[in-house]
Amino acid sequence: MSLIDLLWIVPVGSALLLLTGGLVVTLPLSIVLLFVLAAQLVGLLRRVPFTYNLRNLLVRWKTNILTTIAFICVVALLTFMLAFVNGMYYLTSNTGNPSNVFVLADGATDELFSNLGYGDVKEIALQPGVLKDEDGMPLASWELYCVVNQPILVRKCPVCGDLVPVDRFGRELIEHGSPRCEGSGRSIVGSRGRRLLQVRGIEDPAKSGKVHSIPLKVGNWFSQSGVQALQGSTSAEQAVQAVIGEGLSRELGPDAGKRALEVGDTFDLGPRKWVVTGIMDSSGSTFDSEIWAKFQLVGQQFGKPTYTTCVLRTKDEEDAIKLAQFLKTDYKKPAVSAQQETVYYAGLNTTNQQFLYATIVVMLIMAIGCAFGVMNTMFAAIAQRTKDIGVLRIIGYSRWQILTSFFMEALALAVFGGLIGISIGSLCHGLSATSNIASGPGGGKSVVIKLVVDHYVILTGMGFSLFMGCVGGLIPALSAIRLKPLESLR
Amino acid sequence: MRAFDEWLLNFTDNPLNVALLAGAAFLVALSFLWLDQVVFYTTLIVKSFRRNVLRSTLTSMAIMVLVLVVTLVWSVLNLLDKVTSDKARDFKAIVSERWQIPSQMPYSYVSGLARGGARTGSDIVPMDSMTWTFYGGTTDPVNRTRENIVFFFGMNPQKMMLIQRDEKGNPLRDRDGKLIYSSMMDDIDQATEEEMLDLDRHCREMEKDRSKVVIGRDKLDSMKKKIGERIKVTSFNYPGVDLEVEIVGTFPKGRYDASSLVNIQYILDGIDAWKQKNGKPHPMAEKCLNLVWLKVPDTEAFRQVADQIITSPEFKSPAVKVETASSGIASFLDSYRDLLWAVRWILVPAILATMVLVIANAISISVRERRTEMAVLKVLGFSPTQVMILVLGEAIFIGVISGMISAGIAYIAINARGGLKFPIAFFPAFKVPDEAIWWGLMIGGATGVLGSLLPAWSARSVKVAEVFSKTA
Repeated sequence: MSLIDLLWIVPVGSALLLLTGGLVVTLPLSIVLLFVLAAQLVGLLRRVPFTYNLRNLLVRWKTNILTTIAFICVVALLTFMLAFVNGMYYLTSNTGNPSNVFVLADGATDELFSNLGYGDVKEIALQPGVLKDEDGMPLASWELYCVVNQPILVRKCPVCGDLVPVDRFGRELIEHGSPRCEGSGRSIVGSRGRRLLQVRGIEDPAKSGKVHSIPLKVGNWFSQSGVQALQGSTSAEQAVQAVIGEGLSRELGPDAGKRALEVGDTFDLGPRKWVVTGIMDSSGSTFDSEIWAKFQLVGQQFGKPTYTTCVLRTKDEEDAIKLAQFLKTDYKKPAVSAQQETVYYAGLNTTNQQFLYATIVVMLIMAIGCAFGVMNTMFAAIAQRTKDIGVLRIIGYSRWQILTSFFMEALALAVFGGLIGISIGSLCHGLSATSNIASGPGGGKSVVIKLVVDHYVILTGMGFSLFMGCVGGLIPALSAIRLKPLESLR
Repeated sequence: MRAFDEWLLNFTDNPLNVALLAGAAFLVALSFLWLDQVVFYTTLIVKSFRRNVLRSTLTSMAIMVLVLVVTLVWSVLNLLDKVTSDKARDFKAIVSERWQIPSQMPYSYVSGLARGGARTGSDIVPMDSMTWTFYGGTTDPVNRTRENIVFFFGMNPQKMMLIQRDEKGNPLRDRDGKLIYSSMMDDIDQATEEEMLDLDRHCREMEKDRSKVVIGRDKLDSMKKKIGERIKVTSFNYPGVDLEVEIVGTFPKGRYDASSLVNIQYILDGIDAWKQKNGKPHPMAEKCLNLVWLKVPDTEAFRQVADQIITSPEFKSPAVKVETASSGIASFLDSYRDLLWAVRWILVPAILATMVLVIANAISISVRERRTEMAVLKVLGFSPTQVMILVLGEAIFIGVISGMISAGIAYIAINARGGLKFPIAFFPAFKVPDEAIWWGLMIGGATGVLGSLLPAWSARSVKVAEVFSKTA
C-alpha cells in the first residue's frame, strides 16, 4: 500500500466507518421511535407534550424556517432528479409491444451495429407464429435504423432576432439585414452546432405503424414513392416524405421559427430536403424521437443499403417468446439474434441505472449535509430549553417521552419541508428533456423524455426527508434525555 | 522532487491559479502591516469557534460534505468544458462521415486525408495524422456480459506513443532530461516516465507482432485477464472477423484505464482473410475507417485544411465533414445537454443555497445565544463594525477551512483512485483538477459570507441597554 493510498484510505475510511456506525445505531432506533410515535398518536400509549413542541417550533420560527428551507431544497432537488431518471425508465419500459419479436443480426447488441445483409433474411418473416395481415402477408416490419448528423444551419441573431443562416464552417452568422445587421459575422462557436437524429427506413409505413402499434396523430403516412415535389419550388428537386415523432417535431420546430413542425413543413437532412407528411402519436416511447421514411431513400442517402432490424408481430406474448427462442437457437439461414421487443427496449437501461446511482450518491451526501444542519437546530433548541426539560421530568414525563417529544419536533420540520419540497419538485412533471439511453458501450439512442413524478418519486422524497429528520433529530433528542431534572433547573 | 516540480508547473499554467495565489500572497503581506490587529481578531474568532465545539463541528461537517458534492460535480463539468472549448494552438481536426453516426468511411481515404486533401503546392498539409477504427467484440459470444465485451481502438500503434531512440536503442532526451516522444493521444503527457517507456515498448511490440494488444487496467480487471494471456475476441460489428490476440501490456494509469488498443493492420488482415474464405469482400470492407485526426497548427490552418477536404472530389462517396475536436466532442455530448444544464444551473445552485442556509442557521443561533457577550464587547469599546467583523470572520473561518479540507480530500482521494468513475459518452473517469483547492476555499468563503450577513448585521445592531435590561 502506497502513501498516497493511505492518504485517501484514512480520511475516507474513517468517514465511512463513522457514517455506517451512525446509521446502524440511528436507523433502527428511529424506526422504533416512529412506531412509538404512531402508537401515541392513536392513543395506545400515553401522549407526550406534542403541543409544547409545536409551540416551540413557532417561537423559534427563524431558525426553523432556515432548516425547513434546507429540507425543501434537498427534497425538491431529489424529486426533480428522480423525475428525470423515472422519465427514462418510463420511456424504456413503455416502448415496444410484448407480442413483437425484435430481430437483429447475430451478435449485434444494438440496432446501430446490426446488419441483416448477410443472406436471405426475408425468410425470417415466413416462420410459423408470425401473424398475417388482411392480405395474408406476414405482419413484419423490415427496418433500417441509422443515426444521422444534422448540422443546425440557422441561429437566432442576438441583434435583430431573425433566424439567420450560419457560414459553411458553422462558426459565424452570415451577412444579413438591410442595412447590414450588426449581428453579421458574429461568432457562434460554443453554441449547439448539430444534432443527431434517428432515422428509420421502412418499406410499408402503415404496416410498420400497425406492428409497432403507433397510429398517426395528424397527416398521412408517406407514399409508395416516398418523395414529393416541393411546394412553390421551380426546381425539379423532390423532397423526401417523412413521418416524425411528436417529440421530434418540437425539437425541430425552432429551426423553422415555430414551436413544432407541422404537416407540410420541410427540414434539411443529409443532402436533401425532407417534408413532413404526418406526425406519429408516439408520445412516451423512443419512436417519439424518430423520423420514418422510405427504406430505399434512407439507405441510398446514408450509405446503408441493408436492413438492420426486423420486427415480427405474433398472436400474444407467449408466442413471441417461443418465436424469439426458435429464431435465436434453431434458425441458421443466417443466424440471427432475436428477443421480445419489450425485452430489447428494457435492456436499454444501462444509462438509466448509471444516472439513478449517481442521483442516489449525490442525494445521500446532500442529505448527510442537511442532517448536520438539523442537528445544529435541534441541539440549539435543547440548549435553550434545559429548564423546560427539567420541569417536564419533574411533573412526571419519562425519559422516553421526552425523547419522542424532541424526536417528533425534528420530524415535524422534516415532514413540513418534505411536503413543500415535493410540491415544488413536482412542478417539473411533464417537462421535456433530451437524454441518452443505451444498453452498454457504443450505440444508444438520443431521446426526448418527459419528466415523471409518480407515487414512487413522492414516497422516495418523503422517505428521504424523514431519513434526514431522523438522523438529524435523534442524536440531539438522545442528549435531551440525559439531562438530570434538578441540574437542568439550576 | 521532480513530480512536485511538474505539479507546480502545471498548477501555475492556469492563470486563475496564479491570480488567486497572488491575491492570497497580497492578503498575507497586508496582514503583516496590521499584524497585531490580525492576531487579535483571529484569536477572538478561534475562541468563538471553540466555544461550542459541537456546533462548529456540525456546521463544518455540513460544509465539507456539500463542498465535496460541488467539487465532484464541477470536476465533471470542468473537464467537459475544457474539451469542448477550442484551443488556440495545436488544433486537432476530426474528419468523419458527413451524415451517418457512427461514421464509416472506406480505408482508401486514409492517404488523401493524411495530406489534408492537399492538391496544389500552396495547400496546407497537416503536421500529423491518425486513423481510428472501432472494433467491438466479446470473449464469450454465448454468454455476453458487460464484463466480457471489449472495444478496441484500431490504429497505428506508433501514433499512440513513439519515443525517439538513438542507434543503440536508448531513449533520447531533451535539455531538461525529458523523453523526446510523439503521441497523438490526449493526456499521455500525464504519464510517468516509466509508464511512457513501457507504452513505447508495447507499441513497438505491436508493430512487430500484429496480434499483440494493449488493454487498460480496469478493463483487464473486469475481464479477469492478465498481461501475457491470449484471448479470442468474437466481433459483433465485424461479423466473422474474430481476432486471437495476446495482451502485451496496459496503458498509463488514468484516462485510458477502460480502453483497448489493437494494430489496425490486424483488423485489415482479418477482413482480407474473410474475403479469401468467402470469395467476396466483407460487408464492412469499405466502411472500416471511422475517424481521422489531423494535427494542424492554428485556426487559420484548420479552416484551410477543412476547405481543402470538403471541396476535394476524393471524399465525396461518402461525403465527409471536418470539425475541431472540441466541436466533435460537443456533438457527442448533445444528448446529455439538458442533463448537464440541470446539473450546472439547478443542482449546484441548490447545493450552494443549502450550504448558505446551514451556515446562516448555525451563525444566527450562535449570535442569538451570545447577545449578552456582544453587548459586553460594545461596552468594552468595540464598534458595531468590529462586532460584525467578528461574526463574519467566524463564518468565513469555518467555511474556508472546511471547504479547503473537503476539496483537498476529494483531490487526493479521487485522483489516487484514477478519477471519478462516471462514464458519460466516452469519458471513463473524471479527475479532480488542481483548481479544486480554490473551489473549496472560495465556495466555503463565499457561502460563509452570504450565510452570516444577516446574523452579523443583527449582531452589529445589538443594543446594550436592551440586553442588560433583560439580563437584570
